[in-house]
Amino acid sequence: MILKISKQGKGELVFAGSLFLLGIFVAWDTSRMDVPQGSSIVSPQTFPYMVAAFTSLVGFILILDVLRGRLGTPEGDEPGDPFVGANFKTMAIIAAAIALHVILLEIAGYVIAATVCFFGVSYGFGSRRYLKDLGISLAFALVVYFSFTKGLNINLPSGFFEGVFKNG
Amino acid sequence: MGNSFAMLMDGFQTAFTPTNLMFGLLGTFLGTLVGVLPGIGPALAIGLLLPVCLTVNPTSALIMFAAIFYGAMYGGSTTSILLNTPGESGSVITALEGNKMAKAGRAGAALATAAIGSFVAGTIATLLLAFGAPWMADVALTIQPAGYLSLIILAFATVGTLLGSSRIRGLVALAVGLVIGLIGADLQSGALRLTFGNMNAIDGIETVTVIVAIFALGEALYLASRHTLVRTEVLEMKGKAWMTREDFRRSWKPWLRGTAIGFPLGVIPAGGSEVPTFLSYGVEKALSKNKDEFGKGAIEGVAGPEAANNANAAGVLVPMLALGLPTSATAAVVLVAFQSFNIQPGPMLFQTSPEIVWGLIASLFIGNALLLVLNLPLIRFWVLLLKIPTHYLYAGITTFALLGAYALNNSTFDLQVALAVGFIGYLFRRFGVPVTPLIIGVILGPLAELQFKRALQISQGDWHILIAGGFPKIIYGILLLVIIGPLVWNFKKKFAVKK
Repeated sequence: MILKISKQGKGELVFAGSLFLLGIFVAWDTSRMDVPQGSSIVSPQTFPYMVAAFTSLVGFILILDVLRGRLGTPEGDEPGDPFVGANFKTMAIIAAAIALHVILLEIAGYVIAATVCFFGVSYGFGSRRYLKDLGISLAFALVVYFSFTKGLNINLPSGFFEGVFKNG
Repeated sequence: MGNSFAMLMDGFQTAFTPTNLMFGLLGTFLGTLVGVLPGIGPALAIGLLLPVCLTVNPTSALIMFAAIFYGAMYGGSTTSILLNTPGESGSVITALEGNKMAKAGRAGAALATAAIGSFVAGTIATLLLAFGAPWMADVALTIQPAGYLSLIILAFATVGTLLGSSRIRGLVALAVGLVIGLIGADLQSGALRLTFGNMNAIDGIETVTVIVAIFALGEALYLASRHTLVRTEVLEMKGKAWMTREDFRRSWKPWLRGTAIGFPLGVIPAGGSEVPTFLSYGVEKALSKNKDEFGKGAIEGVAGPEAANNANAAGVLVPMLALGLPTSATAAVVLVAFQSFNIQPGPMLFQTSPEIVWGLIASLFIGNALLLVLNLPLIRFWVLLLKIPTHYLYAGITTFALLGAYALNNSTFDLQVALAVGFIGYLFRRFGVPVTPLIIGVILGPLAELQFKRALQISQGDWHILIAGGFPKIIYGILLLVIIGPLVWNFKKKFAVKK
């Protein structure tokens, strides 16, 4: 076995390794499960143990696969295409935009949360026309908010605008 | 047969009320609208539109779904032809050959043969579905839990190993899906699994959240990380979306052959729309008199695979409706849509809710016809959608996906799950792991456990029941063929190369 692994291979090795650990983790969680008294013939632990074993097994095979140099190719790429390193900065911006949406939604209401998220993602994707982006973000959020709450009667948190929108 | 026909007519009566017809029209429009957007395949399109349907009555909603289903499929092929970015694996071939046609100024003919081919294939396949599914449901009523379990395991194996470029990576996706499916309270004993004291997790993870997050958020994160945001060029469409007599002459046989290949491969779980479309492409290339045109924009290369893709999608609905077994991401979303109205697809469906299932089948016919009427004239409007700048497109998809995840239960827990699943989706994209097996694992995992327990309860704990009887033996025999077949094939290929 040749243990000369590219940078891409190292990342994938971590991925495969965490899969193996996920299996062990599921097995550990299953072992400390509160099994209700008088359970039926098959214990509620049986199936999770099987899943745990399967997960660790495929994780282990994937580790071997990566060590043998058989790396995964992202869909749409050809095997042997030059490897493009991940740009974690832009990715972090997208993730932050999503996380902000989650946090803001019930505090500040849908319109603000969606505006922030839309603006953040378009910023992450390289748009720098701040005023235009902000305008489009707000317009998108407002259209979605009103078509869902008024058109479809699906409730979304109104946040700050409660009084304004309810009477409007 | 006669009975099915009468039921189908009843179904048409359900679907042909003005209200339901309006929902059908709306579904066709929305489905195409979302399906056209680059980066959105049919499964994600239906997932995103699920909250919209939840507010109307089940029959109208399912009719809208049928329309969205075909609309999204059709929208996807438009994108492939004009933009060369297939939204899903079934459109890869369409993108390949159709985009070449568009470059040669034949976009109109490519779009027309895709639309009419989809219509022809969809109509024939829906007809086969209407008569095949009830028959399969009748047979399925006799299947014991052990036999059912064997079918689920077969679906796991085919979806896990036939998709994507690497078999182990398909199984990786399946394993992660099974783990996600474990989360929550065990259905029978109520024992808690992987919840870690979180009350929200007791009911398990919403499948729609998983589907929407893994496709939409995973894709957004992945594209952002690559930061190769080169704008792909939208090809101009000259003239009308229509075909000449010569185009027709070259298209009709591929449409029919594509249907013949696509439908059966959808009914037996053969691993998504990748196999049938590639197979159809190969067949058309082999039979064509204009072989040199292939790869440069041969109309047969669009007509056949596009018909195969549509027929395949309808074929997948047969086991979904009759057995409750989804074998593609799209079928999985349709199953979830049923469940959100407390309708459980499976053998009993045709007996318990005939008006719903036949209304659905009838609306598949109607939706398919509406598409043809609506889309060829509206094509210029759809093309405009392709010109939305990438950053707004993904900002919109991401925000809308989060809305979809939230609106199901009005809970921010679902949003946290969405973010986590989105990250898994990113990792999968990054390391070439297919997504569909994960979705199948999430849905079928709990079902597999249920059947497994039922089987052992019948036998009082004797594990032999799992392979007792003829039916499981046959299924496990097929399973062995599915696993060993490709191994032998590869070995032979290697052997031949060495020689």
